[in-house]
Amino acid sequence: MTQYLQDPIFWVLLAGILVAIIAISRDRKRISELRREKEDLKTHYANLENHYAEAVEEAKDRAEEATKTALKSAMRTLQGLAGEQQLAITKLQEKYGELHILQDLLDISHMNSQFARRAQSIAVLCDGWLGRQRSAASLYDVVRSAKGRIRYFTRVEIRAQTNFAIASRAVEPVALTLAELLDNATSYSAPETMIEINIRPVPKGVCIIVDDAGVGMNEEEKDRAAKLLSGENSPGVSGLGNPPQFGFTVIGVLAARYGFTVSVDSTSPYGGVRAVLLLPEDLLTTIQAPEPEPQPEPQPKEFPTVAAPRSMPPEESPVAPSTTLGGLPKRRRRGAMSIVPAVDSPDVPVRSSEQTASVMGAFQRGTQSGRSSTNASSEGPETQ
Amino acid sequence: MTTPDEPEQEQPATPLVPAYVITNGRSLLDDDTLSLITLVTTAQDAPAVQHLDPEKRRLLELCSGGHLSVAEIAGHTQFPVGVVKILLSDLTQGGYLVTRAPIPAAKLVDRNILEQVLHGLQARFG
Repeated sequence: MTQYLQDPIFWVLLAGILVAIIAISRDRKRISELRREKEDLKTHYANLENHYAEAVEEAKDRAEEATKTALKSAMRTLQGLAGEQQLAITKLQEKYGELHILQDLLDISHMNSQFARRAQSIAVLCDGWLGRQRSAASLYDVVRSAKGRIRYFTRVEIRAQTNFAIASRAVEPVALTLAELLDNATSYSAPETMIEINIRPVPKGVCIIVDDAGVGMNEEEKDRAAKLLSGENSPGVSGLGNPPQFGFTVIGVLAARYGFTVSVDSTSPYGGVRAVLLLPEDLLTTIQAPEPEPQPEPQPKEFPTVAAPRSMPPEESPVAPSTTLGGLPKRRRRGAMSIVPAVDSPDVPVRSSEQTASVMGAFQRGTQSGRSSTNASSEGPETQ
Repeated sequence: MTTPDEPEQEQPATPLVPAYVITNGRSLLDDDTLSLITLVTTAQDAPAVQHLDPEKRRLLELCSGGHLSVAEIAGHTQFPVGVVKILLSDLTQGGYLVTRAPIPAAKLVDRNILEQVLHGLQARFG
């Protein structure tokens, strides 16, 4: 051992080992420091990246929001104008109903409806205005309204009439949804084929079934459609694709907002697509009158005295006397006709027997008092 | 979101079912098929009305009381006359309604006859 101690090489080696140990430990320290630094940098980078993604997302959202706001406002104006125009056209149709121009007015009305529908669809994507709230309407009328909003509406055949009615708030959304379905159906099928609509009551509500005889959809398209129709993660205005496909996206938004479901995953008996719109019970209602259509007809001002009986429900008409007091046969009409005053005999509007009796009694009392007060009549007051 | 040219909320509603859907896009009839004063009434042995459109059922109801002219019907339904004519023609073809052509306007009596009568009267009383 001592011989080693005296060996200078030993000392050199020892010094070398010591230096190496120090160097290694220093390096280790540096490496760990570097590692820590690297970790820090990594987290910093990740943070930055996150922020960046967030910022991008935020910017995208903001841009989408801005687009939506602008479009919403623009569409609202367009929708309003389309509504005004439709009103004007309706008035013109009444005014020139006898002339040949009516044909053109009907065509213009049709074009205007399509135009209004496009504006409405875009408005839906922008969470905008769906149009005037309609009063509750029969399902049949809503389906027909939808039919009128597409170009080739004469190809649509409504198979069944039902007594179902749609609640006021759901009339426009359902009509718009159906219109989009019908638009798809007519666009993806041959021009000479028909689109068939059936209405079926189901335990959960009512199904409106739209069958076309088109080419159908493949699985991929069906999956994509199902995703859009579910209304989750609506792609919004910017995600409509090119060319933009409105239909299913609009339907998805409406379905999610109003709580009905639409599916297009089955095949129609004609080989095309069968779209099924399921309306839950809470969107349905009942309409007391079988017809929601007849609006109160304008009451002529020259017969203020016969205005009161007009408010009578038509059910009362059967009890009306079938002859006039003069013994002449009286026209009996139900429903709308009872509110029409006849020009020569204001008596024609149907009255209940009690009312007739009281009116005649008042008349008689009047004539009696008149005669007895003046006593001018050669016949003298009638004794009663 | 309001804009200056925002539509007025109070504007009356347009009909839910437009007229061109009610006629199912058919073109107007020729003028001579139905005139404004053609009289219409329900047929005696009309088929069942269940599958008819509500508008057509309403027309039948209107006509069930007796004879009505086309113009009157149009007035009651508030549809354009041309549209009413299409519906009425449909119903007539379906056997629900019968139409009666208007009674031709009385021809003016021959002036000669009137003069002869006048002369006769004058000769007798004048």
